[in-house]
Amino acid sequence: MHIIKLIAKEILYRKTHFLLGLVAVITAVALCVAFITTAAAGNRETARLMLKAGFNLRIIPADADLNRFLINGFSDRTMPSEYVDIMARQKGFSYNHLLATLQQKITWRGVDIVLTGLAPEVCPPDMKKPPMVFEVKPGTAYIGSVLASTLDIKKGDYIEINGTTLTVVQCLSPSGTLDDIRIQCHIADAQTILDLPGRINEIQAVDCLCFTPTDDPLAILKQDLARVLPDAQVIQMARLAETRTHQRRMIRNYLTFLITAVIMVAGAWIGLLAMLNVRQRQSEIGIMRAIGYRSTSIAALLLGKAVLMGLLGAVAGFALGSALAVAFGPDIFKLTAKNLKPDYTLLVWSLVAAPLFSAVASFIPVMHAVAADPADTLRKE
Amino acid sequence: MLTLKNVTKTYRTGSQTINALEDVTLHVRPGEFIVVRGPSGSGKTTLLMILAAMQRPTRGTVLFEDRDLCAMTPAERARFRATNLGFIFQMFHLVPYLTVIENVLLPAAAAGLPSARRRGDELIETLGLACRKLHNPTQLSAGEKQRTAVARAMLNQPRLILADEPTGNLDPENAKAVLSHLAEYRKSGGTVIIVTHGLEAAQFADRIIHLNAGRISPERAEQFSGD
Repeated sequence: MHIIKLIAKEILYRKTHFLLGLVAVITAVALCVAFITTAAAGNRETARLMLKAGFNLRIIPADADLNRFLINGFSDRTMPSEYVDIMARQKGFSYNHLLATLQQKITWRGVDIVLTGLAPEVCPPDMKKPPMVFEVKPGTAYIGSVLASTLDIKKGDYIEINGTTLTVVQCLSPSGTLDDIRIQCHIADAQTILDLPGRINEIQAVDCLCFTPTDDPLAILKQDLARVLPDAQVIQMARLAETRTHQRRMIRNYLTFLITAVIMVAGAWIGLLAMLNVRQRQSEIGIMRAIGYRSTSIAALLLGKAVLMGLLGAVAGFALGSALAVAFGPDIFKLTAKNLKPDYTLLVWSLVAAPLFSAVASFIPVMHAVAADPADTLRKE
Repeated sequence: MLTLKNVTKTYRTGSQTINALEDVTLHVRPGEFIVVRGPSGSGKTTLLMILAAMQRPTRGTVLFEDRDLCAMTPAERARFRATNLGFIFQMFHLVPYLTVIENVLLPAAAAGLPSARRRGDELIETLGLACRKLHNPTQLSAGEKQRTAVARAMLNQPRLILADEPTGNLDPENAKAVLSHLAEYRKSGGTVIIVTHGLEAAQFADRIIHLNAGRISPERAEQFSGD
């Protein structure tokens, strides 16, 4: 009788045992798939949440006065707008989410304001991501809350600054920062108002979030920038960068712990079931060896069942894990819910790993069965 | 056909040493029906296991037509058993999830016999199991289970059938039926060795060997001309 037929018949005879093992494999695979799928979503969500805290890198001209920069909050020197395009063309770059700005303090309607021109955010070709900030259209303006209150400006109003007319698209909510006295407009409008055509005084960015614990991020950032823009310098908002990195590592470590725990528990359960199965089958194993079945055939019979359990568990576990991630993920990761989808590479991994895992978990009981003296087994009965 | 020479089998359990067999010499001729008798613990089953190449003696040699069974690798011994031996045990040892016919055909795969189905059907018919062919062991009586085991043992037409207390769990009628089938097998040219502490098998035996405390009692080796 073919070994596959023997395996199938034994499974049908001891259905409960097989189902218990299958449940263990399905649970392990489902949890791993759900964790990994939602981890990707979690990373995106965390990145988006952390990105809301702001850019953590500021690239300004190399000859900018740092004292003035830190006091005023913007550079007193300018650089060509093309600099952001040069950065955006680099591959393997450690910068992302590049936002060119032109900022200056001016007096408008008797009030000191910070005029901020924002270019559309760009990303290097190998790090394309959705933008962090809203895009400001030409001819429009966003007014800080203190300004709006002080100057009685409302959404829909027209304002004129140095001969340039802008439509107020939104009066922003109070933030407790310099944004409350900003007028944010398109970079081209700011360049016209300030008479600085083709100039910017800062590129805001985020680091690539690709550093390992042993890297010196600032050194790498400086090195990368010097390679493409020797006329610029980079300032890192260290606390923000560290928080972001720490958060990512924490999530990664936590997931590693969870997945390891799940695999160990499932492995122990499958091993225990295998041991019980071998014990139940002592008589059958004994007589098969007595009538001349070789140890390799016996091992194939027992491990074949484990492999089959793994294959079925992989498919069912992947389906369940993906369904759980897609069903519950959007409620947890509200910002990035749309991007939560099954990852079919995990199915491939499951089909390889689950049968292997099931066979490894069953290995010791199987080897014990194969090595046992059939005479002892047959004699015991 | 089969010769045991000065065979001793010792078991060690902790600090205790048990001589299951001591200096046993035995020669089995082709076509013999031998009954090995003795009280519990006398070494009968150990003797059977050594004859079956399932255990190696601590000392001595076991030759099957000049082939030293002790010198074989485990794979060679498995092959030897598959092609030369048949087994019957007191507890039947049927595979519970296989039907009667599937249990009977089990040795065929081990021996590499591609088409033993006809032989299996004939044996089932001969042993009165035709109406139980597709039943599982749980649906059989003790007598039917043992007849299934007998059919399984005979499938490959082995040179030697070894039976350990084959009638131990059977009523007298079924016991007689099983022993009769084994006697028929011997008449057709096979060799049968039965290990038992009962008396029913004696009437079929060519020779009765008495084992006591691991030794053959020479004064009690009885010769019969069995039917």
